[in-house]
Formats: sequence, structure tokens, C-alpha cells
Amino acid sequence: MIDFQKTEEQELLLESLREVYKRGNFDDYFKECDKNHVFPEKAADAMVEAGFAKLGIPEKFGGTDCDFTTLIFVAEEAYALGWPSLCWVNQALQVDDIMAFGSEEQCKKILDLGLKGIKPFTLGFTEPQAGSDNSSMNTKVERKDGKVVINGHKTFNTAANRSPYMLCIAREYKNESPYKDFSMFLLPMNLPGIQIENLDKIGNWMMQTCEVYMKDCEIKESDLVGVAGKGFYQLMKNFEVERLLVCAANVGMARCAYDEAVKYAGVREQFGQTIGTFQLIQEKIVDMKIKIENMQNILYKAAWKKSTGQSIMIDSSLVKRYTGQAAFQVIDDAMQIMGGIGYTNDCRISRLWRDQRVYRIMAGTEEIMVHTAGRALIKEAMKG
Amino acid sequence: MSMKVIACYKIVPEELDIIIKADRTLDMSKAVLKLGQYDLPAIEEAVQTAESAGGKAIILCAGPTEIDNSKLIKAALSRGAAELFMVVDDAMKTADASQTAGVLAAAAAKIGFDLIICGEGSSDIYAQQVGAQLGEQLQVNTFNAVNNIKLNNGSIIVERALEREIEVLDVPLPAVISVTTDINLPRIPQLKDILAAGKKPVTKWGLSELGVSIANPIDVVSTLAPESKERRQIIIEGDSDDKVEAFLQNIKKDL
Repeated sequence: MIDFQKTEEQELLLESLREVYKRGNFDDYFKECDKNHVFPEKAADAMVEAGFAKLGIPEKFGGTDCDFTTLIFVAEEAYALGWPSLCWVNQALQVDDIMAFGSEEQCKKILDLGLKGIKPFTLGFTEPQAGSDNSSMNTKVERKDGKVVINGHKTFNTAANRSPYMLCIAREYKNESPYKDFSMFLLPMNLPGIQIENLDKIGNWMMQTCEVYMKDCEIKESDLVGVAGKGFYQLMKNFEVERLLVCAANVGMARCAYDEAVKYAGVREQFGQTIGTFQLIQEKIVDMKIKIENMQNILYKAAWKKSTGQSIMIDSSLVKRYTGQAAFQVIDDAMQIMGGIGYTNDCRISRLWRDQRVYRIMAGTEEIMVHTAGRALIKEAMKG
Repeated sequence: MSMKVIACYKIVPEELDIIIKADRTLDMSKAVLKLGQYDLPAIEEAVQTAESAGGKAIILCAGPTEIDNSKLIKAALSRGAAELFMVVDDAMKTADASQTAGVLAAAAAKIGFDLIICGEGSSDIYAQQVGAQLGEQLQVNTFNAVNNIKLNNGSIIVERALEREIEVLDVPLPAVISVTTDINLPRIPQLKDILAAGKKPVTKWGLSELGVSIANPIDVVSTLAPESKERRQIIIEGDSDDKVEAFLQNIKKDL
């Protein structure tokens, strides 16, 4: 039997989230932060104080145990309320990464930052020549005179300007196959030799995306995360979780745009009646709602599979491809319903439209999702 | 013996879900139930007072069978109190302020208390009566409009914001006080509070177990929403005497 009822605990947790949001009265503040391209510190602090950063961090590290599905519900709800893209305080991905591959000492260091709502590390994967083609990363790690030295150039690093570390993938150049030649390191971002430059983007103004240059950065052998040479495999595990979290944002942002547009359709009058009485508008609203329902269903199922220990290798790609596109269509339709107002920066939908667009590109493009899921689906069919 | 502080609360319909029908009657069939918003500061104050006195905060609720709902119970217990007592009886559906106070008095007497804290009024009827009548029925010191409480030795110092002054009173315990929403900012429950709430003790009583009955339930003849009127949209700007006079004249016309 399929049960779509959230538990009472989940419902109460979401009520608390809505209460913190309402009490903070953040909407104008977010507009201001967006305009000024600054991170919404005050709002983030309120959410951290209300306990949302520590959800999912194990109790022995000072957090509150919480299953992955609940973390997805909470993130989705935050974005649905209007929380800015890429700025949610819960660092579930970083927590999952470090818990999966990090040492006890690394876990402590990273989870301590997570408890404070600080993004502990920027993901240091993409390089100018290695976008979708991860295997062509050429940031290099060398061991000389007992030192571990990193040289390279990473790009599209979210929050590199405010994260204390980078989860940096570097090539050992010991094995000819790149897949067996990468290692992951926790690179302190304050090392000599690190240079950070912000990218000028069309959206996501409250969170910087950066280029990072690493020149002769000296780290320690203890900064290795997981197993040397297994970095690529670890990266793939990261992607599965990252994709689901990205999708929670997709669903949330789509809901946010939908809620605003539908309310507007109910009051905006043209030709002597509300525009919601026009069937062309109703059609948009109905199709938007269908997409939101579909997005939630596919996302919740994948989250449930991860929570119950099942493989989400294929699911994460399907969810990522579908929700990126569907959320964009919903937000785009919401803008259409708003008319000219929707295109002004005074209307939140314009921010959602700018911010969500990159979700079809980042964390694996929608085309790469076809590449990853497509091959796996055929392989799966051939098994039978 | 450690201090026992009871906070009373009422389960009310969510006001945003109440539909006003064309004939001005209210349709509450779609309204979800929630904790009365003016009762949240009462619960918070009981928890804080009990904490600073090293005592125990208990919450108490009376109402019809709908209040016996596990989510509403967790919602109440997630706000810091140690234990919940409920008087659940469908006869409570039509209870008026005096009858509700009588039921709460019987329950509080059975539980035992040093201090009872109520909200300033219920967020549905907002008669602001139950706290005062509860104190009267229990024959203890009773004050409303309290916006600060400090523990003293065997008594509490309460502050009441009156029209022109702040009244400060040393109130010997036991006492019943009704607190304003200014007294504190109620906590927002975190996941660990919500999870802990499900494990806290809950005691349920019927009216017969308390030896009280609701003899003559009141008969509600009708409940109607006020007639909605178009706004006059008369705006008088400025603070000169003639503007103030014009403002007053406009109000007087309708009185």
C-alpha cells in the first residue's frame, strides 16, 4: 500500500519551519539581499537558531538524527516559502559526503561547521575543460619531500568565497585510467596559493559562484578524504545525493511561483473579470499543478529509496532531468500569468525564474542525465 | 516540595479556514484544529517559571473528543511542558466560560498546583473570562493582564500594564494569572522537542471522573459574522486642529 501521509512529526516540523519564516518576515529582506548580491545572513541565523542546520547531523556530533526523506521535505518547504536558491542552511550533502568517506576527525570538523549552517566546503569538481566530462579533470596532486602539493584550476564553485574548505578532486597521475586515478582532499580555502574570483551570473545573486586557482597549495596526507584513487567513485556517490537535494529546491521553487501566480489569477481583473476565469490561464494553472504533483511523486519515491538503502543510481538522474525542466516550465508559466509585473525585480517570480534556470545545468546537465540513466536503463533491460 | 505550574490551553479552529457563508453563518467544517495562539505565551511562561523555580510545568486542556488527537497532543507537549492532563468529554462542546472554568478548576485541584497560567483569551471566542473565573472558583489570588512574572520567596511579583502606569504586585501563591502576548516570545518546537513530545505522560479524564457535570449547557441561538461593508475611503491627512476636528466629526456621524 502506498501512503502519502506525512507523519505527525514531519507535519509539526514543517509547521515550525513556517512559523520561523513567518516570524522573520523575510520577504523584503531577501529582495534587498538579492539586489545587493549578498548572502541573507540574518535569515540564515534565524533558521540555524531554530535548529534546521543540525537536522540530519548525528546526535554524537551534536545534531539531531533525521531521515533523508524528512530533510527533503524540509528543504522543499523552505524554498516553497520563498527561501533563496542555494542558500538553505541545512548542509545535508556535505554531511552525507563526509559521513560516507571522511575520517572521524574530518567528520568532526565538517559537521561542526554544518551545525552552524555554514557550507563547510565548496565542491571542487568542475574545471574549465572538465564540465560534463568529469574524467578530464587535470588538477594535479604531487607528493614531494613529505608534502602533498595541489596545482590546478576549478570553476563554478558555489560558495567558494565563504566555505572554509574545498572538497577537491585531483589526479594522481599514477594510473592511466582517469577513473582509477582521482583522489579527494579537504583543502583549506585560506591556504597560500589560493586565489578566488567571483563569476558574474544572471541569477543566484545571494550566493557567489567562483573560480578557484590553486598554485602549489601544500596540504597534509591526513587531508585525503576516503581512499586514494577512488575519488571518481566517491564523486558518483556525491552526485546521487546532490541531485535529490537540487530537486527538492526545484519542487520548492516551482511551488513558490505557482502559489503566487494562482493567487494573482484569482484577483487580477481584465475585461471586467478575474484572469482566472479565462480558460487559457486555467490551462496553465492545471498543467503547472500536474507538474508539481509529478515532481513531488518522483522525488519522494527516490528519497524513500535512499532512506531505505536502495540504489538511486538511475532514479537520481530521472528526478534531476525531470524536475529541472518541469520546475522551469512551472516558473515560466507563473511569470506569464503575472504579465509584465512578473518580469520586474519587484516580483519574486522573476528571481525564481533567473535562479532556477541554472538547475538545468548544474549538478549534471539535463543532457548528461540522459547519458547516465539511458545506458543504465538499457543495461537493466538486458539483464532479464 | 517543588513548584507545580499549570498552563491551560484551548484547542480552536484555524481562523483562516473558517468560511463565512452568504447568510453570514460560519462554516467550520474545513477548519483544522490548532492550539489557541494566545495560549502559547501561557505555556511558555509556565515552562520558564517552572525551569527557574526548579519545578514542573504541566499543561491542561478541556474540550470535546476532537481534542484527543495525537498530533495536537504532540504539538502542545513539544513546547516544553513535562506532562499533559486532558478533560475530554463531548459535553464540553457547548460549555460556556463559567462551565469551562469549573471543569478546569476540578482538574487543577486534582492535579495540585502552586500557579496556574492562562492566556489572555481564547483565539476563537476571546471572552477573556476563563482565567478570572477559574481563579474565583478555586478561591485563590487572581490577576489578568500580566506581562511579567518574577519568582519571589513563596510568592510571585507580577507586572500589569495599566492605562497610565505599570502595576507591580507581590502575589502570594497559589494564584491564577492570565498573561498577555507581550510576556514572552513562545519557543518554536525543534525536531527533538517534537520527538520527545510523543514520549511524555498524558492523563485523560472524563467529566464524571472529576465529579463535575455541565448541568445546563447554554443554547447558542446563532453565531453570525458582521455584515461586510464597503470601506468609505475617507482619508484626512495632517494634524492641524481643523483636520482633527473633521476626523472626529466623521466618526461622530456614525456613532
